Amino acid sequence: MGDLAMDRTETTSVEAILRDELARETRALGGIAPVISHLLESPGQNMVSDAVLARLRGMLGDLAAQLLCETAIDGGAPDPEVQERLAQAISAKDAVLNHLYAVAVEGQLLDQLQQRRTLDPVLSPLLQELIASEHAATAELAMSALAAQSRFVQSQRRMGLSLAELPAELFALVLNQFSTAELDTNAGDVGAAINALKSRYDEGAGRLALLSRLVGSMRAGSVAALELEHAGLSLFASALAKATDQPRDLAVLACHDRQSARLALSLRAAGLDTVAIERQFVSLNPVDAVSAGIMQISVENALTVLSRSSSSFERAAG
Amino acid sequence: MNQQHTISGARGLTDDQDRLLSADEPLAELQESCGGTIPGVLAVPELLILVRQARRMGLRIAREFSAFDGQEVVIAFARIHPLSSKEGGGCEVLIENWHRGSQNELNSHQLADRLDAIDRAAAEVTARLDDDQKVQFLAATAPDATELLARVKASPGQDINALLELKGIAHQQPLHWRLVDGTQCSFSGSDRTWRLRLLPIGSAAGTPRGFELLLVADEPFSWVEDTDESQSEYAHSRLIGGTLTPTLRQPIARVIANAETIRTRMAGPLRSEYSEYAGNIAAAGQHLSGMLDDLADLEVVEAPGFSVAEEPVDLIDVARRAAGILGVRAQERSIEIVLPDADEVIALGEFRRVLQILINLMGNAIAYSPEGSVITITTSQSEKGKNTISVCDEGPGVEAEQVSRIFDKFERLGRDSDDGNDTGSGLGLYISRRLALAMNGDLEVVQPNSAVSSGGAEFKLTLPQFN
Repeated sequence: MGDLAMDRTETTSVEAILRDELARETRALGGIAPVISHLLESPGQNMVSDAVLARLRGMLGDLAAQLLCETAIDGGAPDPEVQERLAQAISAKDAVLNHLYAVAVEGQLLDQLQQRRTLDPVLSPLLQELIASEHAATAELAMSALAAQSRFVQSQRRMGLSLAELPAELFALVLNQFSTAELDTNAGDVGAAINALKSRYDEGAGRLALLSRLVGSMRAGSVAALELEHAGLSLFASALAKATDQPRDLAVLACHDRQSARLALSLRAAGLDTVAIERQFVSLNPVDAVSAGIMQISVENALTVLSRSSSSFERAAG
Repeated sequence: MNQQHTISGARGLTDDQDRLLSADEPLAELQESCGGTIPGVLAVPELLILVRQARRMGLRIAREFSAFDGQEVVIAFARIHPLSSKEGGGCEVLIENWHRGSQNELNSHQLADRLDAIDRAAAEVTARLDDDQKVQFLAATAPDATELLARVKASPGQDINALLELKGIAHQQPLHWRLVDGTQCSFSGSDRTWRLRLLPIGSAAGTPRGFELLLVADEPFSWVEDTDESQSEYAHSRLIGGTLTPTLRQPIARVIANAETIRTRMAGPLRSEYSEYAGNIAAAGQHLSGMLDDLADLEVVEAPGFSVAEEPVDLIDVARRAAGILGVRAQERSIEIVLPDADEVIALGEFRRVLQILINLMGNAIAYSPEGSVITITTSQSEKGKNTISVCDEGPGVEAEQVSRIFDKFERLGRDSDDGNDTGSGLGLYISRRLALAMNGDLEVVQPNSAVSSGGAEFKLTLPQFN
């Protein structure tokens, strides 16, 4: 009787493992067609390149490692296998993946702009001006943003991302994955680690919030941040997101060289004229040129087209 | 810099049901212009979403939000810190980077379009008129328009004058549509007042081919017959808090702010007499503003259906918060507030009401204590299932013959003479006592025991114990 019961549990647990495995494999199969068709239809630079994938893997691993380190009592390095499983659990959340993808693109673009146009990824001319501002609060904010940007660029070079840099919703999602993932680790108390991480988290101290506050504090002057070479990509993206009422991730992706329609529309929606739009295109060097009739689209129409597109993007991202 | 356009920061505190308990001036103003009260549920829509989100996730979040205060678009950056359930379970809200401005300046044409769109969305009765303003078709969603609907169905092609009673227009002839557009009207079957909109169809320049008629009600339809005596009495008695305070708060705040600007000579040099006059104006304005708040509270506590919530309240925690809120005022007069060292004393009452009482008591103590003195807060548990918290100061104390009158309405015990610095309305203690009684507790003056006491006043709040 006892043996039978044992057998039964063993079968069910094997069954459960295989079922999970199968679900993952099915998901992988389901992904083949869209990925292949995407790779086939875009010659040249793909939206999903090896470089971006490597960055994504690196960041997922880094996030998992930070979570596991929080549970470790002796501060030792986490078990690579557990870390890999946790990274997979985190990547199962599309919202997290989408954000990390945008971060990877931002990191890659910062590198490219430094190589092609010798733009400093950390300190742009505009940021320098803001640091020298007479207004003490603005200067202080700009200093904090500089520090955060420098930490970000540093960790991007290592293909990492600090947990504290995640927007609050995604931070909560990641913690949720951490608490529900079956890690069968004896690493320590996950609940206590989550509480500690939660109490330390402050979205307002993160880079994205600092950049957004900085753009907000510039008021009417934030038009200056819409000049890529002057503002630097990170501040430019925050300003573009604010001016066009798009999520910042989409504003970053608009700068990818295969998203030139989004870029052109976003810049138009932010109220730039053809000459200014062309200047940004020269800096970012996208595949397609600026459409000739861009000025025929009114700012309002550009905004409407964008907001429809970003809401359908959010729906698709779930 | 222009005060209207840049305000550096504002702090607010919400509770576990997202009610705004206290807020600095700019946030308080925004809450009111969005239709809310303090204390009351946060009325700034985007901010409410953020606060709820922060509370649900238990994470400190920082986002930009925008709101429309009735005149301008306000854009600001909010940092929200959720507090633990021990600290009230709400959130601390810090708002920075305020800026105002009509971001999307609409020209008059766009504005008219928008107003039309709003009226179309809000209309409960819509109709189509021909070019002679005869009704061709009418549709209504309002329950009180069924009679009107039936009349149109019975005989189509009537003139709108036959169906609607236009206020201030005696003319029976069809008038030019511009004269009719926007007038108030009523129709049989409905007790409500309606606003009539007449929008021409066809080219703007030529004669319209017909009209779109919209009837927008001034108030929502009420299913209940509003004849209950106590109900109407209640409605009447909310005149100050419901109508007067929100309308007067902004102009008074402006008077105070401008008087302060003059007093501190921010706009340039000024003779000292004038600066003093401005100081008096500011003080009088503050008095008026405090008076309005008190009168609004008075209305609430005296309303027939007034009741309080019953929840466990930690008196020590409330005392700590009250001391925090009044900390600056106490520091200005170098008064030290000594809090009890007990861990927690849990009583049964409504958190914000207890806080209100303690702020009143401690505020009084600060106002009537000599500079550099000490205010002591003590708590105790009495045997009859009651918890008490006392506020003792080192001021002149309350004389025996005043004790019986001190809780009376508008009683100020000759304290008006305090150089005009005293902004009391004589309502604070009366309201506090009413609140204490409503929570099945009491508020009393403890007569000093001449052997022990230093002679100051001691006020004791008693509340039922929580078990």
